[in-house]
Amino acid sequence: MDKKLKETILNPILKGNPITVLILGICSSLAVTVQLKGALVMAISVIAVTGLSSLICSLLRNSIPNRVRIIVQLVVVAMMVILVDQILKAGEGTYAIDKQLSVYIGLIITNCIVMGRIEAFALGNKPIPSLLDGLANGVGYGLILIIVAFFRELFGSGTLFGLRVLPAGYIPNNLVILPPFALILLGCIIWAHRAFDKDLQEK
Amino acid sequence: MEYISLFVKSIFVDNMIFAYFLGMCSYLAVSKNVKTANGLGLAVIFVLFCTLPINWALNRFVLQPGALAWLGPKFAEVDLSFLSFIIFIAVIAAFVQLVEMIVEKYLPSLYSSLGIFLPLIAVNCAILGGSLFMQQRDLANLGEAAVYALGSGIGWYLAIVCLAAIREKLSYSNVPAPLKGVGITFITVGLMGMAFMIFMGIQL
Amino acid sequence: MNTNSNVYTVVYTALVVVVVAAILSFTAMKLGPLQNANAKAETLRQMMSAAGVKPTDELYATRNQDILRLYAENIEQAYTIGLDGAQNGTLGTDGGRIELVDRLKPQDKAIKEGGQATLPVYVFKGGICVIPVYGVGLWGPVWGYIAFQPDGKTIAGAYFDHESETPGLGAKIKDEAWFREKFAGRQVAFGSEPLFNLSKNAETGGAANAVDAITGATMTSKGLNDALNVWFKAYEKHFTDNAKAEEE
Repeated sequence: MDKKLKETILNPILKGNPITVLILGICSSLAVTVQLKGALVMAISVIAVTGLSSLICSLLRNSIPNRVRIIVQLVVVAMMVILVDQILKAGEGTYAIDKQLSVYIGLIITNCIVMGRIEAFALGNKPIPSLLDGLANGVGYGLILIIVAFFRELFGSGTLFGLRVLPAGYIPNNLVILPPFALILLGCIIWAHRAFDKDLQEK
Repeated sequence: MEYISLFVKSIFVDNMIFAYFLGMCSYLAVSKNVKTANGLGLAVIFVLFCTLPINWALNRFVLQPGALAWLGPKFAEVDLSFLSFIIFIAVIAAFVQLVEMIVEKYLPSLYSSLGIFLPLIAVNCAILGGSLFMQQRDLANLGEAAVYALGSGIGWYLAIVCLAAIREKLSYSNVPAPLKGVGITFITVGLMGMAFMIFMGIQL
Repeated sequence: MNTNSNVYTVVYTALVVVVVAAILSFTAMKLGPLQNANAKAETLRQMMSAAGVKPTDELYATRNQDILRLYAENIEQAYTIGLDGAQNGTLGTDGGRIELVDRLKPQDKAIKEGGQATLPVYVFKGGICVIPVYGVGLWGPVWGYIAFQPDGKTIAGAYFDHESETPGLGAKIKDEAWFREKFAGRQVAFGSEPLFNLSKNAETGGAANAVDAITGATMTSKGLNDALNVWFKAYEKHFTDNAKAEEE
């Protein structure tokens, strides 16, 4: 049991990473990676939403009528997302970040990771492993988000978390801030990941 | 004139895929060949075009701060905007379910080509994203909402068909092993996005 | 129990909807005041940035509580005017009871269509007078706060914000400090047309009421230009009357 639990937690972070391996949840992941601060808040929000919605859906798993399964899941996820959004808006330090993330917080609802984990794991497992599975997938997602944001903020603005890191003479590369670069960067991360782990390479 | 401007803008300048990365999951998963990409693209146009105006009306008359004023002065202060996510997604999910049932019953031939994509669409970020952008950008009337929906849908369709065409050719190229499949696809999409950026300076 | 029967499905769905709605309404009610406080502090930061009370970065590093205090210390009076330029109300400025007109959209509608408007004027210590402007950019609302010197036509400072302009282009009206800093020292040409000119190469002529638009952000700049002109027009009578009263 312990081994299985460990597997549940570690797998989504490396070998079964939702973004680089399963290619889920790209939608919201790239647009919020211009700055590390936004990416971090987004990552924490997604971790909270995946963990808690998996937990709730796992608790309800034996009572959900099959025909309205998807809609009930969507309602649970949407509720969690609205709660996160409301809390971010209410927090003094997070209000400005919530404004910056704008519609992407709402788009966590359709983040395929959340629904994917509920369908694939939470509906067939006990609440505690489901919670862990949800959290771990959120972490795997957040990790990639932060790696991408690190490079984009460093080279796009010369700062990290808003603090100047590169010398003042550095001319920020505007291309890095624009959307296409996020895709290319993610392609390179996948490249690196698969170069290390040959099992993941596609035939 | 404003409609044309909005239409062109939503197809090219603020393309759902290249500018906002919306609907990426199904975009990458279903772009292996042009035929299926075509089917999914059309389904996205259809669902966006139908749900966005519905959500516009709900937002205008139910959800916005002060939107319930038509019920009477007592309701003028009610602000239900915190419910918008849940209402929008419910409308989309219900609509998709409904269309699926109708198409399956009455148009079996269409169902066999388009129907399999419909469940995928309920959780396609482009659809919900369209509604959320509509709300955020405060589109003025039903016409604008419909034009915006159509433009965004066509933009998405264009993007997925282009990518599918490239990927069909790509399968014959000699790509480094770790980059094969998803990796090279991401980089291709990035390059396509750069190409689409030339529309940014467009003036209408 | 048969979880696939119709009755069960309907009852179950109804139950879920009721529970979810209850939870959400409860949190919305509980968190509402905090959210409003954040929104209010944000507006105050933007106004004080325009008025030059403190540098923008410092204002954004200041906590809400201190922002309210800072505003109360620096404001002299705040009131609203109608479309005829005459005062039609006062706004509270005490630490405990700060009132703002921060929903600008209905005011914008009133200016354009005529009707009952309550346009705010915030007078800071030293006679710096801050007014809002509001309009529609490329994708959504753009707005800002313009601070005037005591002479009522020279701009002391400005702050602009937007809801959803394109990052890297239209969003520069907020992100780039040099853009808002260009407004300081310009003069609004009250009494002639146009009142203000924000457009491509506008500065070339050397006019006092001109600022160059942001390259590549045509629609955002056009929206902002309209916003400035429409709102300045609405305040024109108020400012010119004030100037006349000073002379006499």
